[in-house]
Amino acid sequence: MAETTYIDAIRRALLEEMERDANVFLMGQDIARFGGAFRATKGLYERFGRLRVVNTPLFESGTIGAALGAALAGKRPVLEMQFADFVSCGFNQIVNNLAKTWYRWEAPVPVVIRLPYGGGVGAGPFHSQSPEAWFAHTPGLAVVAPSTPREALGMMKAAIRDPNPVIYLEHRVLYRREKEDLPDGELLTPLGRARVAREGRDVTILTYGWTVHEALDAAAEAAKEGVAVEVIDLRTLVPLDEETVFASVKKIGKVVVVHEATATAGYGAELVARIA
Amino acid sequence: MRLSRAWDNRFEAMARAGRIGRWYSAVGNEATTIGTTLCLDAGDAISTVHRDLGAVLTQYLDVNRLAPSLFGEGDRTAWDAIRPDAQPLLDRLACQVFGRRDGFTVGHDRSFHYGLVKPEWGIRHVGMISHLGSMIPVAAGLALAAVQDGTKAVVLGFIGEGATSQGDFHEALNLVGVMKLPMVLVVENNQYAFSTPLDEQYACAKLSDKAPGYGIAGETVDGTDFEAVWSAMSRAVARARSGQGGTLLECMLPRMRGHAEGDGSYDLIPQAERERFLAMDPLPRFEQRLAALGLTDDARTAEVTRVATEIIESTVERAIAAPEPDASEAWRSVFAPGEIADAFARQQSEVNHG
Repeated sequence: MAETTYIDAIRRALLEEMERDANVFLMGQDIARFGGAFRATKGLYERFGRLRVVNTPLFESGTIGAALGAALAGKRPVLEMQFADFVSCGFNQIVNNLAKTWYRWEAPVPVVIRLPYGGGVGAGPFHSQSPEAWFAHTPGLAVVAPSTPREALGMMKAAIRDPNPVIYLEHRVLYRREKEDLPDGELLTPLGRARVAREGRDVTILTYGWTVHEALDAAAEAAKEGVAVEVIDLRTLVPLDEETVFASVKKIGKVVVVHEATATAGYGAELVARIA
Repeated sequence: MRLSRAWDNRFEAMARAGRIGRWYSAVGNEATTIGTTLCLDAGDAISTVHRDLGAVLTQYLDVNRLAPSLFGEGDRTAWDAIRPDAQPLLDRLACQVFGRRDGFTVGHDRSFHYGLVKPEWGIRHVGMISHLGSMIPVAAGLALAAVQDGTKAVVLGFIGEGATSQGDFHEALNLVGVMKLPMVLVVENNQYAFSTPLDEQYACAKLSDKAPGYGIAGETVDGTDFEAVWSAMSRAVARARSGQGGTLLECMLPRMRGHAEGDGSYDLIPQAERERFLAMDPLPRFEQRLAALGLTDDARTAEVTRVATEIIESTVERAIAAPEPDASEAWRSVFAPGEIADAFARQQSEVNHG
C-alpha cells in the first residue's frame, strides 16, 4: 500500500507491463534519461534500456507509423505524445493506418497512444486542447479517459493487453493533484465499463477525466441543498457503456453532460444524441 | 519476371475491355521489384505500393513447385522448404484482386492494399494505404522490431518518386538514420507521379542525394538493368544485416503505362518520350543478357513465356469463377477480439435494439 499520484500510477502500469511482457516498449520524445515532459517514464530507461524506452526524434507521424510496424512484428508499443495537441501531426497515421488495420487485414495492432490533454494549467492554445472527439469519430479506435490514480493504473494495464489501438487521455491537472492509496498486486480496470462515481436520485451527470472531480464537487455542494446528484464516470468513451448510462438516465430522467472539450460536434453532443 | 508480365498483360486486357474497374500496371518495374526482392531471405519484410506485383510474387512463390517443368534439381532454396504450395497462394492472390471470398481480405478490398504476415512461411508483406508515403514509417517500425529482437531481418520498402515529397518520407528516413535501422527504401522513379513530371516534384539532381542528409547510404541505378539492381540491393542488404544501417536506393524506370489503365495520364507523356520509354523494357533486355551469358536461348525464353502465360490464364479463370464473399462479411468488427470488442458488441446491440 502506497500513496500514489495519477502520474505515478501511469508509471507503475508501464513498469509492471514491461516486466510482465518483453514485447511492451515505450516510444516518445524526451522519455529516456529525461523521463518525459511530465516525468511519466522516469527511471524506466535506466531499468529497461534504449531499445525498450525509445527516445525518438521530434516527430509524431513517424513515431505512430513506426509503432504500427512494430506491432505488426509482434510488439506492444506505448507512445507518449508530449502534449495531446501534437497528436494532430500524426493524425493520418492514426485514423487511416492504425485504426483501419484490423478491419482491413484482421491483423491486431496493440498500440497505446498516451495523450496528456486538457486545460487548467495556463498553457495556451497549443498545450490545452481536448481532442477526444477526433478519435471517437474514427472507427477502430478505443478512447479512454481515466479519472483517478487507480483507474489510470488499471486502464493502462488493460489498454496495453488489448489487441486494439487505444487512445489514452490523461488530464494534466490530475497528474499530481490526485493521490490515493493503491494496494500492491495486479490491479486491472475493465475497458468499456463506466463507473457510478456517486449515486443519486435527482439528476445524472455524465462526465469523464478531470471533470469527474468537478462534478463530484458540485454534487457535494448540491447535497447541502438536498439535491442528490448521480455522477457517472464514463471511463471509456469508445466503446461507450450504454448499459450503465441508460440505466441511470432511465432511473432519474434528468441529465447534465459535462466535459471541457469543444461543444460543437463534441463528445457531449454524441452522448446527448444517444440518450435522447 | 515473365509471370509478373503475364499477369499484367491479362489484367490490362481486362481493364481495356471494361471487365475490371481499374488496373495499376507493373510493366517496366519488374527488374527493380524482382531484382531487389530476390536478395531477401525468409523472415525479411516487404512493404509494397501499386507496381510491386513482382516483389509480391518473388516473396510468396516457390516457383519450382509452380512450374516444375522449368526447373531442375538444386533450384529449391532453404526458404522454399517452408513456403506453402505456390498455386493455391497464387489463386488467393488472384481472388484478392477480384474481391472474392478466398482473397486475403475476404473481399474487404480488391486491390494490393492488403497485407500478409505469415512468419511461419517466411513471408512478411505489408500492403499500402492510399495515402502514399504513409507506409515508410511502418516499414521503419518493422525494422525497429528486428533490432529490438536481434533477428537480423531486413525490411524492403517500395515507394514511387512522388511519395518522396511527403513528410513521412523525411520522418521515417531520419529515424532509420538515427537508429541505424536495417531498412532499404527503394524509390521506383518512373518519372511521373500520376501526371506530375520530375521537375514539378523535386529540385535535386538525384533522389539518392537526399540520403547523406539522413546519414544513410544512397545509390541511384538503372532500374531496368536487373544485374545493376541486384548488385546495389545486395550491397544494401549486407549493410543492413551487419548493423550499418539503411539505404535509399533509387531505381530509374521508364513510365511504360499510365498511372492506372485508361485514366488519361499516359496521354500527357510526349510521344517521343513514350517511344523511348517503351524501348527500355527490362524483360527483353534481361533475356538477351541471359542469352549472351549462355544461360538461355530463344527456345527456352519462349517456353518460359508460354508456361508463365498458361499459369496466369488458368489462375485468373479460376478467380473469376470463385465465389463472392458473403454479404455478412461487411459487418466484420472494427475491433480485434477482446474486452474492447466485447464492449463494442454490447454497444452495437444497444444501438440496434435498445
